Amino acid sequence: MEYILSVLILIGIYTILASSFNLIIGFGGLISVAHPIFFALGAYASGLANLHFGVPIPAAIMLGSLFAALMSVALSLPSLRVSGDYLLIASIGFQLGFLEVIKNIEFAGGAGGLSNIASMYAGPYRSLAFAITILVIAALVVALVHWLTHGDYGRAIQAMRDDEECFTSLGRNPMAIKITIFAFGSGLAGLAGALYAHYFQYLTPEQFGIVQSSLILTMVVVGGMGTTIGPVVGALLLTALPQAITFLNLPSSVMAPLQGMLYTSLVLVFLFTRPAGLFGKPVRQ
Amino acid sequence: MFDLPILLQIGWTAVATSAYYVLFAIAFALTLKVAQVWNFVQAGVMGLAFYAMWLAMIRWQWPHAAGFALGLAVAVVVSAAVEAWGFRVLRQRNSSSLMLFIFAIVLAEFISYLLTLAFGTEPETLTKSIVSEVHLVGGVAITNWDLRALAITIAMSLALFAYLRFTRNGQFLYAVADNGPLAELYGISANRAYLLAMVISAVFVAAGVYLYGTRASMIPTQPLELMLFAVIATILGGIGSIHGAALAAVFLSLLQSASILVIPSAWQGSLTYFVLFIVILFFPTGFRFPAWLRRVTRGR
Repeated sequence: MEYILSVLILIGIYTILASSFNLIIGFGGLISVAHPIFFALGAYASGLANLHFGVPIPAAIMLGSLFAALMSVALSLPSLRVSGDYLLIASIGFQLGFLEVIKNIEFAGGAGGLSNIASMYAGPYRSLAFAITILVIAALVVALVHWLTHGDYGRAIQAMRDDEECFTSLGRNPMAIKITIFAFGSGLAGLAGALYAHYFQYLTPEQFGIVQSSLILTMVVVGGMGTTIGPVVGALLLTALPQAITFLNLPSSVMAPLQGMLYTSLVLVFLFTRPAGLFGKPVRQ
Repeated sequence: MFDLPILLQIGWTAVATSAYYVLFAIAFALTLKVAQVWNFVQAGVMGLAFYAMWLAMIRWQWPHAAGFALGLAVAVVVSAAVEAWGFRVLRQRNSSSLMLFIFAIVLAEFISYLLTLAFGTEPETLTKSIVSEVHLVGGVAITNWDLRALAITIAMSLALFAYLRFTRNGQFLYAVADNGPLAELYGISANRAYLLAMVISAVFVAAGVYLYGTRASMIPTQPLELMLFAVIATILGGIGSIHGAALAAVFLSLLQSASILVIPSAWQGSLTYFVLFIVILFFPTGFRFPAWLRRVTRGR
């Protein structure tokens, strides 16, 4: 039962991550791969705020989310000024650079990781309570992203993504929209990170590297970029699928690359056979 | 700490070490210039070429020339296949630059996982010992590896310069880079130019990987880090300037080595990323070299 609950918790966390990443890359068309670093910043900020400053867990979670959103502005403000490609390159540098910084900060546990983070719930029903909380929050995040992208503001986001010059000629400010959705999506990733920290209670920089970028990207591409339901199904499939390999009892030196190959080959297959993903509308060439 | 022999030694070592960075930067900048793709698959090609050479030179005990030839062949074949069955297909479907990017980075990661599965995460080198014979010149230690690396890099850079400037195929690459559709109207095949750019890049990657593997150890995830260095050099050198990227790689290598004098070694890994931000913030289109130098490096 505990195992099933922990898988459900992971599905909830990845649903938040994939939906928020989809807001940035799918709806906004902003090519960034740094989503895991905002996941990490939210996790570390929340964990450290609670561990070292005694901030209550709910407030620490909010703080983690806000910190991730603010840090995203530090990335988007200089790089969005130029062009989409620069955001991509800057995002890789930002992610790997910040992971290096975290590895060298003793206060954050360094390369060894941050342990002893307080759990949000205690007692025999800890995992059940956590699973219900996470799944409710994930459902709220999906609803929020759907509401945001299907109203007037959502039409503005998609217009900006499809034709930025035309959008600008209508007197709208694309930079403001880009920075806002980037901060909003990153803030949600920070929220997922904070929840992750207070469930697993242990963080290491390795958990938030390029492999994590690849996993979240896969969830969005397989599910269908620019759709509400796609990333949810992507998160569900790609969190549940590797569990099947877990039962093979392979050594970790084989398991980790095998899971990585599974993710990446799925993306490649979808890119060439169904680029719109499971739920995206195929584009007629 | 700041006495002349030490500074000279740091400078020399940095210039020598920059040899493989220069080759990687040229390879990346050439593909970006001609095919307009941020070709992260190059990281995968680096990994495949390295482990092909490692199998031949260390496991099967082939002579170095034969081992290098195998690595080169692998790099060329994989790069050509990626262009023909990957990028070309996506281009024909009018895929967005996002899709091209996803394809490139995901394929590079797939290759990295494949290599991890096949070869594990133990660091490997292309020679049993990476110690090279040392000569002291004016108090500066110069190794045979340094001289070989610089000679190979200079020779290959000059050969590329001559190829792009003096041959018809080289001119075709520039024509496609400047305006692909217009070049096609004049009978130049853009697809052929993209393929040629990928193949030339593969040659530079194979040479760079060989130099790297005879100087330092490699693990399957290393190429992506090496690639990032090439990407920063390409931006710093000015996108579209191949030789600008090469000069920027030398500058970055000097900066990284000199930093040991002022920042703790634990933070040195962060320096490359810090430079990336400074470059994007203050030099988004790269440094502007003097007009005469730009005319020369553009090859016209």
